Amino acid sequence: MIDKHLSTIDRRRLVKPSAYGGLVIILFLLPLFIKSPYWLHIFIITFVFIIATVSLRTIVISGQFPLAHAAFMGIGAYASAVISKELGWSPWLTMLLGGLVATGIGVLIGYPFARLRALYYAMVSLFFGVGILQVFSVFQKWTGGYSGLMGIPRLLPAATSKLPYYYFFLGLTTICLLALYRFEFCRIGMALKAIAQSHQVASSVGINEARHRVLSLAVGCFFVGLAGAAYAHYNLTLSYTSFDMLATLWLFMYALIGGIGSFAGPIVGTAVLFIIPELFRGLKEFLPYLSAAILFIVVFAMPQGLVGLPQLVRLWFTELRKRVTHAS
Amino acid sequence: MLLEISGLTKYFGGLAAVSQLDFHVNKGGISGLIGPNGAGKTTVFNLITGVFPPTTGRVTFDGIDVTGKKPHVIAELGIGRTFQLNPLFADFTVLENVSASFHLRPKSSWLDAYFNTATYRRNEAYILEQSLEILQLVGLDKVKYELAKNLPHGYQKMLGIARALATKPKLLLLDEPIAGMNPDEIAFTLKNIRKTQQQGVTFLIVEHNMQILDLCDRVVVINFGQKITEGLPQEVRKNKEVIKAYFGG
Amino acid sequence: MELTATTFVNMLVLSSMYILVALGFAFLFSIMGILNFAHGVIYMVGGYICYQFAVEYGLNQWISLLLSVLIVASLGLFLEKFCFRPFFGNLNRTIVVSIGIIVVLENTVNILVGTSTRSLPAFIPGVLRVGATSLSAERLVTFIIGGALLAATIWFIRNTKPGQQMQAVSQNVEGAALQGISIHRVSALACVMACGLAAVAGCLMGAFLSLTPFMGDYMLVKALELVILGGIGSMGGIFFAGLIIGSLDATLPLFISGAASQAIALGIIITILLFRPQGFFGREAK
Repeated sequence: MIDKHLSTIDRRRLVKPSAYGGLVIILFLLPLFIKSPYWLHIFIITFVFIIATVSLRTIVISGQFPLAHAAFMGIGAYASAVISKELGWSPWLTMLLGGLVATGIGVLIGYPFARLRALYYAMVSLFFGVGILQVFSVFQKWTGGYSGLMGIPRLLPAATSKLPYYYFFLGLTTICLLALYRFEFCRIGMALKAIAQSHQVASSVGINEARHRVLSLAVGCFFVGLAGAAYAHYNLTLSYTSFDMLATLWLFMYALIGGIGSFAGPIVGTAVLFIIPELFRGLKEFLPYLSAAILFIVVFAMPQGLVGLPQLVRLWFTELRKRVTHAS
Repeated sequence: MLLEISGLTKYFGGLAAVSQLDFHVNKGGISGLIGPNGAGKTTVFNLITGVFPPTTGRVTFDGIDVTGKKPHVIAELGIGRTFQLNPLFADFTVLENVSASFHLRPKSSWLDAYFNTATYRRNEAYILEQSLEILQLVGLDKVKYELAKNLPHGYQKMLGIARALATKPKLLLLDEPIAGMNPDEIAFTLKNIRKTQQQGVTFLIVEHNMQILDLCDRVVVINFGQKITEGLPQEVRKNKEVIKAYFGG
Repeated sequence: MELTATTFVNMLVLSSMYILVALGFAFLFSIMGILNFAHGVIYMVGGYICYQFAVEYGLNQWISLLLSVLIVASLGLFLEKFCFRPFFGNLNRTIVVSIGIIVVLENTVNILVGTSTRSLPAFIPGVLRVGATSLSAERLVTFIIGGALLAATIWFIRNTKPGQQMQAVSQNVEGAALQGISIHRVSALACVMACGLAAVAGCLMGAFLSLTPFMGDYMLVKALELVILGGIGSMGGIFFAGLIIGSLDATLPLFISGAASQAIALGIIITILLFRPQGFFGREAK
């Protein structure tokens, strides 16, 4: 009987777990068909950003809008890059350290910021993110200044092509998403969503709002920091403009376009906005207009984001059928 | 004495919302806190449950000084409440609303929850069972998969009470539980309150609808943040000051 | 002495320019309920349009400024009608829309002008001698224009009917509508004003500093700082915060690097907001 009830709660999830499994298999087999290093690179970048946007959403479900998320990606990236470059430690270790540094800073600001309500939290986070970037610039000696940080140790020194990196990032993304998925759909995630809907009621049933908000921030920061660090050891150079306020806004945008109401939303949004423009590379400098067009179409026509598309299409067909039967 | 309020005072700016309030609630009874609109009743609830601290005064619950403690701590100590405007977890289903409210008892640690340990699974099964029971008690069983925001008003109020019951409180504070209900719903709610009281829950009910007096063992009347009188319902009903407060000189 | 005088003038220039942009941003937020993240880009576009007319086409610089204002204001009208009005009050959607606008405008500037740093020549070249010190005439004029525009805007809001309608809408949309105020006209007016003011600031700052593709992001952050620190809903707060932040930005870099002064200024702002989220004069939140 319990299973029956749990399965009805399950039905509310837009994308079944089996669909994710199928997707991973497809992506695993993809390099058999797509061998171009350029496309492998695109997929790798997409994977990194998927971790970033899904971890962003993990924070958003608690009702907080962390407008410094890209800055935390930068914190993880620079921490890992600098430690491995200066101290010679293995990138595999410093990657995790990068995530932990991001978490640490997130917890540090999480507690004082947790007393702020939605809009104020968002703005203070935004200022913090901008401030972090300035701090990167102040410590140019280590972070590399405007020309960027170069000479970052490779993650896979023996690799002669992008293929091993592709599988590494596919694996990393799968593990991170599994971790974040579990986080959201266990009681912790439920408590976070409760706080987001009514912090008054949540407190009155014993949910410690501050601790939970800090937890969601810590988890979100860890994964985005980890993703940033992994990216650093793949890309081998870093420049802080990659992590500025606009970068955070883009992360929000990928998540919102895909549909921030569901776990699959950020994944879909990121994938669409990275891969579709690449298919039209011939447009060259007019390419950003295509991205903007996708944005505008989704925001005007799809209130639930891209994940709501099947539902919209279904509704459209039902409308169409109704009209046809009425006409005849 | 389960709950004791002494010298409770709260100033907002220069205005005293509650002033030198003293009263107590006995274990096992149903007490009423009544007064006209704006008398400060909800402020008293907010002070008891830690939404904001009092300017001066003390709140003692079950022998423990709980003055100014945070709301989730108060909940843990055994005080549950509903809210006047009845906020709910709007995007959760009715069932989820109640099961989310079982946060305290039984308590699963974060690690238990994340790694789906045997303890967690056991707790969740228990929570599900209890949630269904509560929903049956308050008559919301048939709509358990509906989203809370789609429920009609009376059902939403019932859900608010169900949610508060999930915390297994020793003392339940109800803020205007029958406001906006039709007579059938009112009778149903009053019956449920009596039933729950018999299971050992103490009630403190805020209302400005005098109908609630029928249910209470004792009533405290306040106006302008100060106590006017207290006593048995029938005494209070006839009290001249109370009549003046409600209907004017 | 000269350094102090120059710094003082810099402070006035920065403050007035920040306030010009922040005020427009605040209008959009309080009247239309949107956080227009594209406001920084609009400011940048204003500067670049002036550059196009003045440097590429050789028109008189003041006329270029006026043309820029006209074009950007019309752009504001267009944006209000097609991009903002459909999402009145819906923060999520307007973030996405603003980013769309940022992408389109930034890319257009990239295509037409390229990404290198440009400089607008001074509107009024030369220096002025005041006693023993010489001050850049340009900067004084910038401040005077900025200050005059701000004064005019305040006068407009307080003393004209459209201005008072704007106040009404910003306080209570439904109430204003019930009084017969056309919300659409008010929001269109607010958007036109906001964009026009931003364009002026863009042109003047383009001459004061330089034109870069990043100047918009920088100014957006400044506008947000002023609005949040000053307090949502308070024009006086924006002025007060503008003076403070303008002073910090004009004086700190004399002692420490630019990035460090920004970091310190932001640290101060964050600390203040943690203790007083509603800013200096904002309505009590929580």
